[in-house]
Amino acid sequence: MSPAVQKAIDAITGQFNRDRVLVAADREGGAYVMVEGVTLGAPFAQDDSWIGFHIPSTCPYADVYPHFVRPDLARLDGASLGEGISTGHAFPDQAALKTPGDMPARTAVQVSRRSNRKDTAGLETPLHKLLKVIQWLKTR
Amino acid sequence: MAQDAIDGPWSLTIPETLFETLQGHLFPGDGDEHGAVLVAGIHPLRSGCARLLARDLFLAEDGVDYVPGKRGYRMLRAEFVRRHILTCRDEQLVYLAIHNHGGSGSVAFSSDDLNSHERGYPALLDISRGNAVGALVFAHGAVAGDIWLPGGRRVALDRTEIIGRQRRVLRPAPRGSRAKGDPQYDRQTRMFGQAGQLILAGARVAIIGLGGVGSLVAEYLARLGVGAFVLIDPDRLDPTNIPRVVGSRRRDVWWGLSSPTAPAWVRRLALAHATRKVDIARRVITEANPSAHVDAIARNILEPSATADLLECDYIFLAADEMRARLLVNAIVHQYLIPGVQIGSKVSVDESGRLTDVFSVVRPLRPGINCLWCNQLINPGKLADEAKVDRERKGQRYVDDDEVIAPSVITLNGVGAAHACDDFLFFMTALVAPSGTLDFARYESRSRALSMSSPRVDPCCTECSSEVGCRLGHGATGPVLPTFAV
Ligand SMILES: [Zn+2]
Ligand SMILES: [Zn+2]
Repeated sequence: MSPAVQKAIDAITGQFNRDRVLVAADREGGAYVMVEGVTLGAPFAQDDSWIGFHIPSTCPYADVYPHFVRPDLARLDGASLGEGISTGHAFPDQAALKTPGDMPARTAVQVSRRSNRKDTAGLETPLHKLLKVIQWLKTR
Repeated sequence: MAQDAIDGPWSLTIPETLFETLQGHLFPGDGDEHGAVLVAGIHPLRSGCARLLARDLFLAEDGVDYVPGKRGYRMLRAEFVRRHILTCRDEQLVYLAIHNHGGSGSVAFSSDDLNSHERGYPALLDISRGNAVGALVFAHGAVAGDIWLPGGRRVALDRTEIIGRQRRVLRPAPRGSRAKGDPQYDRQTRMFGQAGQLILAGARVAIIGLGGVGSLVAEYLARLGVGAFVLIDPDRLDPTNIPRVVGSRRRDVWWGLSSPTAPAWVRRLALAHATRKVDIARRVITEANPSAHVDAIARNILEPSATADLLECDYIFLAADEMRARLLVNAIVHQYLIPGVQIGSKVSVDESGRLTDVFSVVRPLRPGINCLWCNQLINPGKLADEAKVDRERKGQRYVDDDEVIAPSVITLNGVGAAHACDDFLFFMTALVAPSGTLDFARYESRSRALSMSSPRVDPCCTECSSEVGCRLGHGATGPVLPTFAV
């Protein structure tokens, strides 16, 4: 893994409990990451979810998106999940892993949040992006 | 490579903006001596040569930092020296003390200068802990250097290269002219001289992407007489490339077997054995100039072994569309002070399929001056997309955002390639007019309009600034390059 990707993962394991963070290397020096048991709750029917995402080898320059969450995600009010959230995905693609099977695929709901262009002074870290996505989900 | 294992000549490369600031300080018109400190990165080459890379300049204020000497005429104050030598120790950089002499065209250290080096530099080497230290003396049009290496060896600077609107070379003294030229270059040497032809023959140029744009660049540079090429492209020729790739032939794709009417398995087999684009470019180059040296590398530019070859070049032509290639080349331009250019063309159509924009761009890249990251020309979202495998990318895409194959036309590629090679020629031979700029150029094919834009510079840019941890001139001890990790 590239030093910048390792640093990003260290920041994530520092924020969440280390044993809740699963990591599998991709073929280019990036990594697939899964954080278990992230608190969700209203407006969703589920109290928590795992969140998976890909940190490219070109971290911290590359955006981190999309994010993936549990496949049964549903709203308490029964409304549709809304724009930027789509069902019927799988995460991660085994062909992208350095060692297929390192992180078994799960069916998933995809959350697409692209960041606007990062400014050069303060690059958005994968941890920062993850927290933003969690926040965004909670305000749906 | 340890600094004391370098056995070839040492050179210094300075971005033009830094050089102009230094010139203004050393030669304000008072005819006196002035001082400064240059902090430099280091770049050992495979040939055993080493390049010092000017990263940051600290001007010594007369009477404060640059004071009457105890033995010589003037000297840098101890506190000024100490401040900068500690920075060099901490960031693994080379400390270079600068002063000037009068005269022009040639320069040498005085015996007072050399005596002061012998008294002071062993102690400076101790403080800098494993990093070279040295001195430079400037006159008008000449630079000499005395570099002290950690192992105790001492080398004289061979030459100083100034990289900006054009490339200028300064030496301690003028060199005599060399052998007679090749008569086949008679017509072009009537413009840029035998000296220019020798510069081209001595140049090592990288071309990234040997498709529509890159194949034309290879053709132009080979016929100009450029001596060495590093060609990088992982792809094989496809039948749809033939209308644009210079030098490609139908038999390169097993024409007939690879046509859309052939059975799928035959077509797949034919395409798997099609000629690699780098090998077509090699053929074009050696037909134009059999003595050219060509390294054809059929790999992704982000593979560390391919990146290592790029670092050995004098100029980089970026003719590939990938954002990741832009990120990497831009980092190399600034961190290793290697000039280059990004070339591209774009055809846009609206929803109804009607043609809107058609243009070619030529963006000169110069260390500390022109930066793709500062100018928002490297898209973080596309960097993320390019890191995904095909199936993954398709799975994540929305239905209304289908991947489309972009239009591409040889004449648009030709506009970009010709201008980029023209810029390279005038840069290398130092024949750029005083009014010449490094603006990004955009040629609109439909209106024949040419627009120029002055690149912006972010003073804290991680890529093109010399802030702590940023890339400019940091060379081998700088940040890790954005390649694949192995
Ligand atoms: Zn002197
Ligand atoms: Zn920049």
